[in-house]
Amino acid sequence: MRSRAGAILILASVFIGGSGCDYKPRNQGKSLYNANCLSCHMDNGEGLEALFPPLANADYVLENADQLACIIRYGVKGELTVNGVKYDGEMAGNQQLSETEVSNIVHYIMVDLNHQESHSGITEIRAQLENCKED
Amino acid sequence: MERRFWKGAISAILLLVIGASCTQEKRELPVLGPYAVTDVITDGKLITDTAYTQIRPFLFYDQDGAEITEASVEGKVYVSDFFFTSCPTICPKMKQQMLRVYEEYYDNPNLLLLSHSIDPKRDSVARLKEFATKLGVESSKWHLMTGNRDSIYSMAKHYMIAAQEDGKAPGGFAHSGAFLLVDQNRQIRGIYDGTDPEDVDVLIDDIEGLLNNTKDEK
Repeated sequence: MRSRAGAILILASVFIGGSGCDYKPRNQGKSLYNANCLSCHMDNGEGLEALFPPLANADYVLENADQLACIIRYGVKGELTVNGVKYDGEMAGNQQLSETEVSNIVHYIMVDLNHQESHSGITEIRAQLENCKED
Repeated sequence: MERRFWKGAISAILLLVIGASCTQEKRELPVLGPYAVTDVITDGKLITDTAYTQIRPFLFYDQDGAEITEASVEGKVYVSDFFFTSCPTICPKMKQQMLRVYEEYYDNPNLLLLSHSIDPKRDSVARLKEFATKLGVESSKWHLMTGNRDSIYSMAKHYMIAAQEDGKAPGGFAHSGAFLLVDQNRQIRGIYDGTDPEDVDVLIDDIEGLLNNTKDEK
């Protein structure tokens, strides 16, 4: 009897622990970041010298917060300055990402990498993406 | 009950002691790659000799357009890898990790880094120069090299590294992220995952061992 209760408890915790967490935007944002952004922007968003700009504690990110969604999906090219360093490269877009996925990455960049409390929600992200479609 | 506890504690302590004494010794690095076993007669005695493959002579051009050959690495330890500047996947990570090796041995002229571009069509000397400048590295220590396409690919094979053009791979090329450690005698002594910081820690340690060990130069 006791072992059955124990088994049920273990099963329940596996369900809660295993699947429940992945639905938090932060966790999905982090895994999406790892899959799509990390190879250039590095594990903690620190970037790489003058080749790839940092995303963590980055003035450019804070000043262009409403552009992040468009950059993530459609990429960016040409000169830009981040924390005083000039970058002149090209980032490819990620058109395979859904609006929700883009939104979760923005959440991760703003909250986890730049310690912001507020940032664009899915409604704003949707509007931003709608606006930069033609660019 | 109590006796069992002490037995366990004593064997745990013994294990710890053995473990600690093992880590004290520097591990002897094997020579990797193909080798030939031949019978030779020395002083009238028949001796079986093992001849390990040496990295063969090569000619590539670095970010300054300077010729880099086997003479450039003579008597030195070097780390070799294969990449391309427009690589969107593992290369930035490899370069981040190679930069750690660069910084660790910046002041030691007996250690060099040789990165081969597998995209020589686009990675011209000028483009490699731009890449090196952005990475902030000096050509005297870290040669980012281009050259004849076939020579680069056959060299990759020679280093036992997978590299090929692949239209389906991101960026157009598929290749391994391995770092190869080559000794003063141009023999491969280690293969490491250039995208894994912990494996690169081991590489940094192994380099130290090779630099200190001149007995290996045989």
